[in-house]
This record gives sequence, C-alpha cells and structure tokens, in this order.
Amino acid sequence: MSKVRRPWTATETWGMIMLVPYVLVFLAFVLYPVLYGFWLARAPSNYVELYHDPIFLRAVANTLIFLVVAINVKMLLALFLSGFFLNERWWVRWLSVLFILPWAVPAIPTILSVRFMLNPEWGLVNAVWFRLTFEDGPNWLNEPWLGLTMAMLVHIWKSLPFWTLMMLTGRLAISKDLYEAASVDGANGWQKFRFVTWPSMQTLYFTLTILSMIWTLGDFNSVYLLTGGGPADLTHVLATLGIRYLRLDQIELSLATVVCAMPLVLPLVYIMMKRFSK
Amino acid sequence: MRRTVLKRALLLGATAIFAASSMPAWSAETLTVWWVKGFYRSEDEALYKAIKAFEEKTGVTIELSQYAIQDMIPKTVAALDSGTPPDIAYADSYDFQVGAKWAFENRLEDLTDVLEPMKDRFDENTLSTTYLYNDTTKERAYYSFPLKRQTMHIEIWSDMLKEAGFEESDIPQDWEGFWNFWCSDAQDGYRGATGQRAYGIGQPMGVDSTDSFFSFLTFADAYNVKMVDDEGKLLVDDPSVRDGLIGALTDYTAPYTEGCVPPSATSWKDPDNNVAFHNKTTLMTHNATISIAGKWFDDMTNPALTEEERDTAKTNYYELIRTRGFPNKPDGSPMVYRSAVKTGVIFEQSKNKERAKEFLAFLLQPENLQPYVEGSLGRWFPVTKDGMESPFWQEDPHRKSVYDQFKAGTVTFEFTKNWKFTILNNENVWAKAMNRVVNENVSVEDAVDEMIARIKTVAG
Repeated sequence: MSKVRRPWTATETWGMIMLVPYVLVFLAFVLYPVLYGFWLARAPSNYVELYHDPIFLRAVANTLIFLVVAINVKMLLALFLSGFFLNERWWVRWLSVLFILPWAVPAIPTILSVRFMLNPEWGLVNAVWFRLTFEDGPNWLNEPWLGLTMAMLVHIWKSLPFWTLMMLTGRLAISKDLYEAASVDGANGWQKFRFVTWPSMQTLYFTLTILSMIWTLGDFNSVYLLTGGGPADLTHVLATLGIRYLRLDQIELSLATVVCAMPLVLPLVYIMMKRFSK
Repeated sequence: MRRTVLKRALLLGATAIFAASSMPAWSAETLTVWWVKGFYRSEDEALYKAIKAFEEKTGVTIELSQYAIQDMIPKTVAALDSGTPPDIAYADSYDFQVGAKWAFENRLEDLTDVLEPMKDRFDENTLSTTYLYNDTTKERAYYSFPLKRQTMHIEIWSDMLKEAGFEESDIPQDWEGFWNFWCSDAQDGYRGATGQRAYGIGQPMGVDSTDSFFSFLTFADAYNVKMVDDEGKLLVDDPSVRDGLIGALTDYTAPYTEGCVPPSATSWKDPDNNVAFHNKTTLMTHNATISIAGKWFDDMTNPALTEEERDTAKTNYYELIRTRGFPNKPDGSPMVYRSAVKTGVIFEQSKNKERAKEFLAFLLQPENLQPYVEGSLGRWFPVTKDGMESPFWQEDPHRKSVYDQFKAGTVTFEFTKNWKFTILNNENVWAKAMNRVVNENVSVEDAVDEMIARIKTVAG
C-alpha cells in the first residue's frame, strides 16, 4: 500500500518560509565560499608547492607550537586561576572585574596597544628600558622566536579570562559536601584538588581544551595584529599565512593553506561533537 | 483563506526579488574605479576633481574605491579571481609586483589604441615600461598605462646633524665613508648630546615593503650589478654579479647588525621609514620618493592643524629637512638612479572597457594628469615631457633635487626586461636575504647564493 503524504499545515509552511532567508544566506555566504575555496585549491600541485615553501613549513611548525604551548599554558592557568577566583574576599571580586577586561575589550585596539607598547624604538617598554640602562631593549616583535612568544603571550592574556570563567562555572558545580568530607579526612589543599576538584573537572577541562584548540587554529588576530607574520614571514601561523599568498597573487595557495589546516581541525570538531552528544 | 494569504505573500516576495534584480538595468551607467589612497589630501582632491569633470562630461557615474597600498594587490587578486575586477585600477605597487605578470597571463586589456596616439608626449623610459609581453598572443603591446614615476633620494634632518656636532659639509661623499659617518659619528654624536635613542640610518628591510627592494637594488646599482641583459636573459652566473650582490648585501645589513638602524626595520612596511623619520627616530633615511618632505609641505597648509603646527611644518620643509642624492659608488663614479614608472591597468575581464579607456584618455590629458601628479607635492615625478618642465619642479630645493636627478637620466628596473622579476619583487627575495643575515645569522655569501638560486628558479 503506497504511503499517502500528509500535506503541510499552514504552521509548517510558514516555518519553512521563515527558514528560507537563513538558508539562502547560509548557502550564499557560508557553503558557496567554502566549496568554491575547496574547488580553487583542488589541484595537487598546490600542495606540492606548499610543501616546498619553507615559509609554509615554518607556519605549520609555529601553529603546532601555538597549539601545544599556548593552549596548555592557558588552560592550566585558567584551571588554577578559577580556584583563586572562587575566593569570596571583596578585593578578589574587584580583581576579577579587572581580570575580565582584556577579553571583554575588542581585539583590534587591545592587541594594537600591546604592539605599540612593544615597539622597540618608541614603545613604552623599551623607552623605560633605555632610561634605566642606556641600552636598547629587546627587539620584542622583530626577532622570530621572541615575536612568536609575544604573540602567544598576547593570545593567552586576551583569552585567559574567558577560559577561567568557564572553569569557574565548572568548579561551582562541584558539591561542597565533597570538600567538607575531604577536610574531615584530613586532606590538605593539594589533595583536595587532586582527589576532588580534578576528577570532577576532568571532562570539562578536556572539552574546553579541544574547543580552545579549534578556536586557536582560526586565531588570526594575535599574530597578524602583533607581528603581521614578520619579520620575513617567520612568525606566520596557518590562520595568517593565507593573506601572504594573496599578496603574492597566489590565491590557490592561499586557499590550499586553509585546506591544510583541515586535518587538524576536523578530528577536533569530531571529538567535540561526540563529547556533546553524550 | 490562510492559503490565499500565503500565496499572495509568496507572489509579493517573488515580485520584489524580480524588481530588485532588475534595478541596475534602469540605473545610470557606472564605471568602477579602484585607486590607491593618496599620501596627501591634494593628491586625492586632484583625482576627485578629474573624476567629477569626467562624470559631468559623459554622464557616467564613477564608483571610486580607495585602498591602502598594501591592500590593493590582495583585493585586486581576489576580485580578479571572482570575475568581478574593477573597470580600471591603479596602485603604486602594480608595476613592481603584478603588472607584467598579469600581462603575460592575458589578464589585461590592450591599451594601444589609447596610448599610441599620445606616444610623443611621454618622456624616455616611461611608456616603454608599459609595453609588455602577452604569452597568449605571443606579442608585446601596451598592457598598462603610465601615470607617474619615482626614484631614490636621501632625506636628512639637518638640525639633528647639528645637534650631533656636524655640518652638512662634514658628510663624506665616498660610499664607505658616507655610511660609516651616519652609523657611527652622527648617531653617537646625537645620542651623546641629547640622551635620545635615535638611529643613524632608516634602512627599510621589511618583506612587505617596496621601499626595501628599491633601496637594496639601488645598493646593487652602486656595485654595478647587472642581473639581466636587454633581452631579459639572466646574468647572475657571472661571478662579478655575485660579488656585487655580496657587496651590496654586506653594506645593507651591516648598519642593522651594528645597531645603527631601528630594530623594527625588519618589519617595516612602506610608510614606516617615513614615520620613523618624522618622529626623529632616525637622522637620515633613503626613500624612493620625496614623500617625507612632502608631508611637511602638506601640513603647512592643512587647516585642521594649529598655526603653531603649520609653522613647524614650514620650518621643517624649508629649513630643516634636506633632500639629496646618494654618495658616489664604491668605485668612485657618480650614482645612476633607477626609476620606476607607476602604472595602472584595465582588465581583460572588466565589464565596461570602452568607458574605462575613455576615462583613461581623459585622465591622461595635461589638465587632469598634471594636477594629479603635482598634487602629490613632489612625491611623484611626471612621465610626460610637458609635465617635467612645469615651474612646479623649480619652486624649492626638494623638487629641484628630484628634477635634477631625473634630468641626469635614469635606468629601468629588471622587470621591464624580464617580467618574472615582478614575482621576485613580490616575494621580495632581496629583503628575505637581508632577514636571513640579520635574523637567522646566515652568512652574507650564503644568503646571496640562496637569492641567486631563487632568481634562477623563478626568472631563468
């Protein structure tokens, strides 16, 4: 017996009509550009050329350093700072307001202000340095490894409040009874963290770390606004390298760079989705 | 009832979409123009005036978009790739970095019918640089249009030099003595006298900067380096070329490693050596236009500034800043300067090519081109014989210096003979070599060998 299709109700029809603008926008501004980008980057020769470009390999290395060092430092700091901000003293409350500012303020002015401060000739830091020592201070943004370190520090400083806040919500969900029981058993601070806090926070910590990795892979601002990928393109990460190829009139390589980040991003997204579906 | 309302709503929506999509058909004819943002108000105002006159003459509406120099190529590349380039475009960096490449790839419109009739108006070594090779037609033609040109100058703060304990007459004229003077005598003298952390030389070294390769190639000229012959064939296997490049790269990087150049110079973009000079962070800089002096000339008449600021600008322009040429070459002979002709393009994919050509012909008329070039306050030099002889170039020592340099004769860039040098300029192999030396401790010889290898790979 053939199945008779039920006609749409007016509510369903209106729902579909309401959905049309979103779908059109999504198709035009998300799906089409992404697919077109993949299409432009499809030639295997692009990837061969990228592989032979020392700047690309350097950018991959910088990206991995960023992921491993910056994220772990940031998440560990967030984990411990969240414990500090649990403190209910009045000055800690005030401090938390100041602490959240770097994250709350838009990226461009904050990172540019750091860039101006670190300018080796007329920046605040080296001006003070010269007044004190009559020597030129470090070349903060124009030596490759120092520049990358500064970019990582800016990234950490800018996003640390957000992750601390996330960890704080996780900590607040832990029952106080567990800590009271641990105190009765004679546990010290470290033991409370090790046997109560960490087991309760573990899942959240890993989920946030993966989420942070996905976002960091796409973090254009920290590097581009601070060092511009310089000196000599040596501080680029995959998120900023594309713009270099665009400048070199090589749009296919620019898009291939983005595609190269996929093996890093997709597994993370997959793990993330699995965690959320549990 | 509900369904009727629904049908009407859908019909109304469809009609609206159809009407919206049909709108351009009813609107006036437009011409899309992309132009680099000028350094000075007067430059942009002259362009706006020419645009307005063209609109009045033709009834065509010009949609002008202006971008910073470093954004022009990425934006144009993206537009070309999506099949929606502007009808006509100009950027200060097209000639160096993409023009000849686009011509080779058949991306540009042949402008012979516009430029041929006015051929005699152009000075030597100007129009010829737009006569580019197209690999599809296997022929050369005028694939870009010349607007203005530039060459290399040296800018000095005479008051800082005085504070350092020297007169202008103390500046040596020999190559080695000249650079040593700024690096040690002038810098040490100024720091000792003022306690200020200033640097002797503003040496552009950024990979994203056209100044860095213009300056470096001028150093290479000082060592008589000839990388291509007149047919565009590479000469880099000649040992004397390698020796010359080693000499040039040694002299270019030594001031940086000796602490006589601002540390941030390795990341400088085109405006940054100007900024460093204006802030009196450097006593001297070399620059491929007199935009540094021009900035103060512009400030002199800027109503947005205070009278005190305008007076300071006047003092800086007429009394404190000096424009001059390079010292003699290491072999003792006088410098011969290279000149870059700044070019614009009409794309093969442009939607309104005929109007774009009409606008080009209009813009190249003396009454439009001369105010535009002179609006840059001496930063750019005319490409036409009439423009060169304008009284404007005799009005003060800065412009006179530019005029004299051009009148003495100039040479062209390598990319005018071998288009693949635009790729090398775009990659900036020259600044990369500098950075290999100063940032990665590679020897000058090895950096030059890497540079030569890359030149052979790209342009061989």
